[in-house]
Amino acid sequence: MSNMDKKILFSMSAAPFWHCGRTVRGNSIHTVIALALVLIMAFWHWGLPVLGVVALSCFVSMLTEEFWNKVMGRSSTLTDGTAFVSGMLLACLLPATAPYWLVIIGAFCAITFGKMAFGGYGANPVCTVVVGWAMIFVSFPIYMDPNAMLLQTDFIDPLVRLKYFGPANVEASIHFSELLLGKQIGALGAAQNLGIILGGIYLLARGVIRLEIVVSFVFGVLFLGGILNMVNPELYANPVYHILTGSTLFCAFFLATEFSGAPDRPLGMILYGLCGGMLVIIIRTYGIYTDGAPFAVMLINLLSPYFDMIQPKPFGVKQ
Amino acid sequence: MRQRFQILNDPRFRLVYNERRPFIEGPEPVKARLNREGFDLVDGLKKKSKVYPGMLLATHPSIGKGDLHSPMYGEISEINHRSIFINACEPDESLPHVEPINILEEGKTGDELILQLKQMGVNTKSLGQDVKTLYINGLNPDPGVTWAEPMLCSNGQNLHAGIELHKRLSKADRIVLVVPKGMQVSYDNIDVIHVEPEYPKSVNALLVKEITKKENPEDVGVVGLHNIWSLGRVGTTGLPLMETVITVGSQTKWANYIVKNGMWIGQLLDYAGIDLQDGDTILRGGPLRGECLDRLDRSITKGTTGLFVVESGAVPPMEGHSPCINCGACIQVCPARLNPSTLSRYAEFANYNACYVEHSTSCVECGLCGYVCIARRPVLQYIRLANAKIKQMHEFVWEENK
Repeated sequence: MSNMDKKILFSMSAAPFWHCGRTVRGNSIHTVIALALVLIMAFWHWGLPVLGVVALSCFVSMLTEEFWNKVMGRSSTLTDGTAFVSGMLLACLLPATAPYWLVIIGAFCAITFGKMAFGGYGANPVCTVVVGWAMIFVSFPIYMDPNAMLLQTDFIDPLVRLKYFGPANVEASIHFSELLLGKQIGALGAAQNLGIILGGIYLLARGVIRLEIVVSFVFGVLFLGGILNMVNPELYANPVYHILTGSTLFCAFFLATEFSGAPDRPLGMILYGLCGGMLVIIIRTYGIYTDGAPFAVMLINLLSPYFDMIQPKPFGVKQ
Repeated sequence: MRQRFQILNDPRFRLVYNERRPFIEGPEPVKARLNREGFDLVDGLKKKSKVYPGMLLATHPSIGKGDLHSPMYGEISEINHRSIFINACEPDESLPHVEPINILEEGKTGDELILQLKQMGVNTKSLGQDVKTLYINGLNPDPGVTWAEPMLCSNGQNLHAGIELHKRLSKADRIVLVVPKGMQVSYDNIDVIHVEPEYPKSVNALLVKEITKKENPEDVGVVGLHNIWSLGRVGTTGLPLMETVITVGSQTKWANYIVKNGMWIGQLLDYAGIDLQDGDTILRGGPLRGECLDRLDRSITKGTTGLFVVESGAVPPMEGHSPCINCGACIQVCPARLNPSTLSRYAEFANYNACYVEHSTSCVECGLCGYVCIARRPVLQYIRLANAKIKQMHEFVWEENK
């Protein structure tokens, strides 16, 4: 049948009419796949409680987002999957045995103050998850301390040893391979370094996260940690320990790379990552917290408008 | 490399498609719709007038814009302020013929030749540019458009005539043909430059940058291969320009047709064997820079480079109300080093002045920003809107100060 005889309803659009096919929802699905690797490792180490924390965190995140959308009279944005991803990411920063109310407060605060208060996904200046994490971390330090929460384990907490017993103690008691496999006390997902690296590489290959940020963040840790270590190895640990402990790698791959808080041009991204990496070392060495990586992410998020100011002259513009 | 892998991971962006099939002669139009905006109708032309191929219908006051000729035998069914509609009818021997003119042998040059070509329907604006060096852009203008290779390789006679005529009318000291890397072509007395045929490079401003390493240099002009082909068509047939070469493509079918000016796209799609469904998008021009059409009785015009169908579901739908999520993909791909995300937001909230301050007028309109936008915002459309408004504002200010 001829096209002219049919009654066809065309869909109107604007140039360009081709598209790379990537969507917000697609990016969320890729992130969930990457995080699945991390969670499998967490489940292997910590068992069923992990599932409880993750499920509750995801559920509360989605519920909170839906609630605020209703209050603000907006259409639901649950289908883009970003609330689910935020829930998973937040769970990864909690101890496996975190009490249910802590998870609920954390997820609610993350979505409310880290996302919906600014207007929704992509409008937040600071990483959604870090906002929620910081609020409960500062308010309930005991419950957020994996060392205090995970008593029934043979693993040790390398960061606590590092802070209070010195580098020699850590280097004697725990090996790199154990750190890589997540055989350490730490947050539920953030300690599973092998899963994070594999998941992160998957996201890099999919173009969901930016290589510049990841590499420069890790390099920042190695750089400043390396200098301190060279100055006084007795006092300052090998920087590789800093990378494989706490949530350094998790922040480098999953939190610092969140689009809305990160700069957009290569040089800005590199400086942003370097600052983040060095801040991790500074907070751990001179701060009161054993792991400062999410705080480092928060600080560089706040600096990123300045990094965004580094921009070239547009095409054909003189002077 | 990395950017290509992650963001522009689309083989269609390489503008070489190994297309060697000759152009297919399009169908005789059943109905035609000719755009007459800005044209002055010839005296006596009215509804029910009989027309014949090559008959002059309207003239354009500008020297750079070709006059309008009837593409076929027919009867005028309607004339309004935008279009002339023609219904085809049987060839009528009583109507006069248009005699072919051998322009190549007549030997006119310069402005005289430009005037003659304009009267034969060729748009001469870009052909007669007053510059030192003129580049003929031999790349396919948009991804998906495939006529450039056959035009360069297997349509030699036409292109020879086009280049010869172009040399006679051009004011440029040097004319250079730019072709994709790896293509073996040689034409008498004309330099050939090879460039890497990656998509945004076929945009004129970026092509010049690629060759001269300078941005918007003076005394350099670019003319499209499509234009040269039209010139050659007039040169070889001796008749007024009544047709254009376009790529008609859907996801599965691709071919290049020589199509009469004014042909309804519905008839052409039928001829090409492309079946349409609800939810498809039809577009005229290239898939990255073209325009969307709402009805099948829209027509192919002289400068049209392609007609494409994007099947429903082939790309994520553009929903209209989608806020920017600050992912920065557009900033990374923008060949003009602009910040399309910010510009699109300024334009969205009608802050055109801010767009101007942020150099939205430097945009080369390649469309990559919208191609990579994961929130499916009409980024290019916003920038085009802003630039149109800025132009209006400037014209207004200029008028006021006069």
